Amino acid sequence: MRCNNIKGLIECSFVDWPGMVCGVMFLGGCNFRCPYCHNHPLVLETDSLPALPLGKVLERLAPLKKWLNGVCISGGEPTFDPELGTILTRLKEKGWKVKLDTNGSRPFVLKKLLAKRLIDMIAMDIKAPLDEKKYIRCTGRRVDLENIRQSIRIIRESEIPHEFRMTVLPRYHNKNDVAELTAYLAEPLKLQNFNPRTTLDPRMAIEEGFSPEIFSDLQLLASGAAHNDSNDKMLIAS
Amino acid sequence: MGVVLPLEPIGRNTEKISYSQNETTDLALFVRTSEEDITGWNRQRIVDALLRETFIDPDTAVRISKDVEKTVKSGALKTVTGPLIRELVNARLLELGLEQNRRMHTRLGVPLYDVDQLLVHQNKENANIPHGPEATNLTLAEGIKKEYALLHVFSEDVADAHLKGDIHLHDLGFIDRPYCSGQSLEYIKKFGLNLPHALSLAAPARHPEVLLSHMVKFAAALQSNFAGAIGWDAVNLFFAPYLEDLDDKGVRQLAQMMIFEFSQQAVARGGQAIFSDINIYWEVPRHFVDVPAIGPGGKYTGKTYGEYEKEAQRFAWALFDVYQEGDAAGRPFFFPKPLVHITEKLFITEGHEAFLEHICDVAADKGNTYFVFDRGETAKISECCRLSFKLEARDIEDAKKPWKMRYSALQNVTINLPRLGYRAKGDDATLFDLLTEQIRLAAKGHQQKKAFIEKLMAHGENGPLSLLAMKCDGENYLRLERCSYLVGMVGLNELVKTHLGRELHDSDEAMKFGLQVIAHMNLVCRKMGERFGMKFVLEQTPAESTAYRFAKLDMAHYSEEAAMVVQGNVENNEMYYTNSTLYTAAGEMNPIRRVEREGLFHPLIEAGAITHIWLGEAHPDKNSLKGFVENVFKHTQNDQIAFSPEFTVCLDCGRTMRGLRDDCSYCRSNHVDGITRITGYFTRVSSWNKGKIGELRDRYRNPNQL
Amino acid sequence: MTLFTRNNCKLCKKIKSRFDLSAMEIKIETLTNDNAGALAHLAWHGLVEDARKSLPILVLDDSSPVRNFARIENRLIERSNKLGVPFQSESNIICEGGNCALQ
Repeated sequence: MRCNNIKGLIECSFVDWPGMVCGVMFLGGCNFRCPYCHNHPLVLETDSLPALPLGKVLERLAPLKKWLNGVCISGGEPTFDPELGTILTRLKEKGWKVKLDTNGSRPFVLKKLLAKRLIDMIAMDIKAPLDEKKYIRCTGRRVDLENIRQSIRIIRESEIPHEFRMTVLPRYHNKNDVAELTAYLAEPLKLQNFNPRTTLDPRMAIEEGFSPEIFSDLQLLASGAAHNDSNDKMLIAS
Repeated sequence: MGVVLPLEPIGRNTEKISYSQNETTDLALFVRTSEEDITGWNRQRIVDALLRETFIDPDTAVRISKDVEKTVKSGALKTVTGPLIRELVNARLLELGLEQNRRMHTRLGVPLYDVDQLLVHQNKENANIPHGPEATNLTLAEGIKKEYALLHVFSEDVADAHLKGDIHLHDLGFIDRPYCSGQSLEYIKKFGLNLPHALSLAAPARHPEVLLSHMVKFAAALQSNFAGAIGWDAVNLFFAPYLEDLDDKGVRQLAQMMIFEFSQQAVARGGQAIFSDINIYWEVPRHFVDVPAIGPGGKYTGKTYGEYEKEAQRFAWALFDVYQEGDAAGRPFFFPKPLVHITEKLFITEGHEAFLEHICDVAADKGNTYFVFDRGETAKISECCRLSFKLEARDIEDAKKPWKMRYSALQNVTINLPRLGYRAKGDDATLFDLLTEQIRLAAKGHQQKKAFIEKLMAHGENGPLSLLAMKCDGENYLRLERCSYLVGMVGLNELVKTHLGRELHDSDEAMKFGLQVIAHMNLVCRKMGERFGMKFVLEQTPAESTAYRFAKLDMAHYSEEAAMVVQGNVENNEMYYTNSTLYTAAGEMNPIRRVEREGLFHPLIEAGAITHIWLGEAHPDKNSLKGFVENVFKHTQNDQIAFSPEFTVCLDCGRTMRGLRDDCSYCRSNHVDGITRITGYFTRVSSWNKGKIGELRDRYRNPNQL
Repeated sequence: MTLFTRNNCKLCKKIKSRFDLSAMEIKIETLTNDNAGALAHLAWHGLVEDARKSLPILVLDDSSPVRNFARIENRLIERSNKLGVPFQSESNIICEGGNCALQ
């Protein structure tokens, strides 16, 4: 087995698994081209990035076992990696709990992994309300939304803890989008404010996230605690 | 340094040479003679001064005075000032080869240019000092006391070693004060606020607010007698007997008052806030459980502290509520620094899970929390940037009368480790010999400081250190015989790099060698302590400015060697050595490894050590930090950790945001300042010295993405 | 393997007299005020605080420490037997005067 697609490793993260301390593995390659992606080398130049052999990664994580609650698999889009199952199996053999980050475009992969009980927590990035145009704009690709819907369903029906989240920025998202998606999910949505660093599309680097005030209003909406008011003057034109 | 005196008239009939006056205020007065005439000139005053201040004989004194008179009257001078005459006398002493006498006759002061610069530009040696009239007073006074110390308190070899940058004698400007002080509230609870020479006496407090006001005033009084931190032991516990009648709202109000009082009072040393630490326990520490509690009016309540656990916990909780909220603009409080003791007993005390979560929430949000690990049955009191004292048997004995619990380190001397590497040229034996020699010099400096403080203390309650000589409980407040003397280190990482070509984090071999250096220091301190009958202990020097000073001096004097290892950016002067035994700030290293590895040094550094985890902009989950902290306690030797987030405060709209940013996320103004931990405390980045700015640029933040 | 000991420690002496440690290829580190190397070695294994509570401490080849005296003896007996190095039979010695710890 090759497993030569692990392109990055954080040995100790306080932020990737809520309430836990975890390691994070980054797998290369993605089917989306979100212009505001901040891990874009994993998307665009994944072949030129050196790979860390799975054995080496497990070796580096082993002495941290008593410190880490688990390992998070992120990307890129991990469900695109044909070796994902192997990686998860090896992690499970070593007794690790695993969290998977996914964009939900491959529900059948999720279904299989869940059935094999290879995942302990799943976080799905939803890019926008489930609307063709909005999704194209945010992902730079035509996305089959039925897959997204199916993934949401699979995740919700699974017995493991999960989290739906959305990265928001003024150019692509407004208050209604947050309200709409939250309503669709009928459960809290975790928002992440866009934070310009380097982005997949260099033109996005000058883009700003929401101001903290507006962002906290959006968060309130996403928590499902506030009502949607489409006449609110805070509405941001897209 | 030269002499500065403003040349301005003070009136027609006061034209006299006044430098031989005795009062300090008059000594600082200028002398101005009228034009073309030196009326009021009195040669005898030169003779008097020489006989009073030096060892020379009357004949020589008269001869010198005549020589100087000749020079003065030679006509070239239109105006003569006292200091000028003194320098002319000094020049004559020099010509006569009377060097020792010249030193004794030296005048201390500051050049006009320096004062001008000082009044306009900020002093960045200590980022806690604001810029203002009080601050410049402090700097001027410190300047003179520093010169005095180097000329008069320390022997020439010790003073020279400091000036050359082999060692650093800390707080020379505070030569007449001990370094830091840790105490319990019990002293003021029992004796009230009864300070020597105070305008009024206060009986022991009967209400919590009054106790708080006594605490703050006493802290301010202590701060004017100590150079460094003022630490308070088990604050929440000792307040507890006063809280029985307060509801939760009242307790919260009191907590808020305490934190604002300490963070806003700009009364100490040059308009600084009091450098204050409060030690907090969730459990009642074992050594206080059976101690009779002192309550309102300074009277025993009839209960023991063990019975006040719930009240103490309410107060601890409320304090962290206030820290979490931050100030009115949501900024973290800089002082008082909360040091929470993580002990075996904590983990078996009810409610500890929620409390740990609470303090981790504050750590993630605002960064205030210091986690102090007291493993086994050790008890510690922490103060200053990281200084802590392990309580020994006799200290635990003190705990039965907690007002006796007051501990002080008299002075801190830091050794420039990288320089030893340059001088040893790769030879182990030479390196360790040089190291021993430097510690011996540090010990000698400590003896000299001790002798000086003893001399001041000998004047008792009417002397210059009256507060420290007060005897409410029958013995001096400052118990000199119990003082510690700190030996610090800067740049172990760069020493190892010079000596082995690798940094501490690079290889096991480098790390083992680093341990060997610190073990050597530990043992030499112990042996010298036995020899001198003093307690020398290693401390991780905070080295806010020393890390910069040593690097600069070494770049000047050992430029070739230093250039290979110095950190930061040499070109724009933002250079520094890595603090104490820390791993390089820039090292890409997961926090687990950093805490484990740096922690291996900590048991050898008995007066306190810390590992910093720089969070940057990332906002971790409280439970993630909680799990991490528990593991640090269980699985490492690490003494103390703190998580440091970074903030930006907008100077236009006044709002605060996460991360160091170039502009305000609210109003887009680029008129912003950063806030984060400099060494052991939070402060504004604009006040930092260049070395620390260099370090800030390099700091490796725990990543939140690839 | 390394055995951390100090002078004037009865338990350390007992071990040293019972076993032929050099023949068993066990390094003896004696913690004295002049032996920074031994102290650094102890610190490398994270055992300074443990040694302040009690000595001797045996560190196995996988770096794991054995602090309990009876277990140390058992380990050493095992190793003696394995290497065919003779050792003396048990004598009953207990720590006196608190000397069996790093001061």
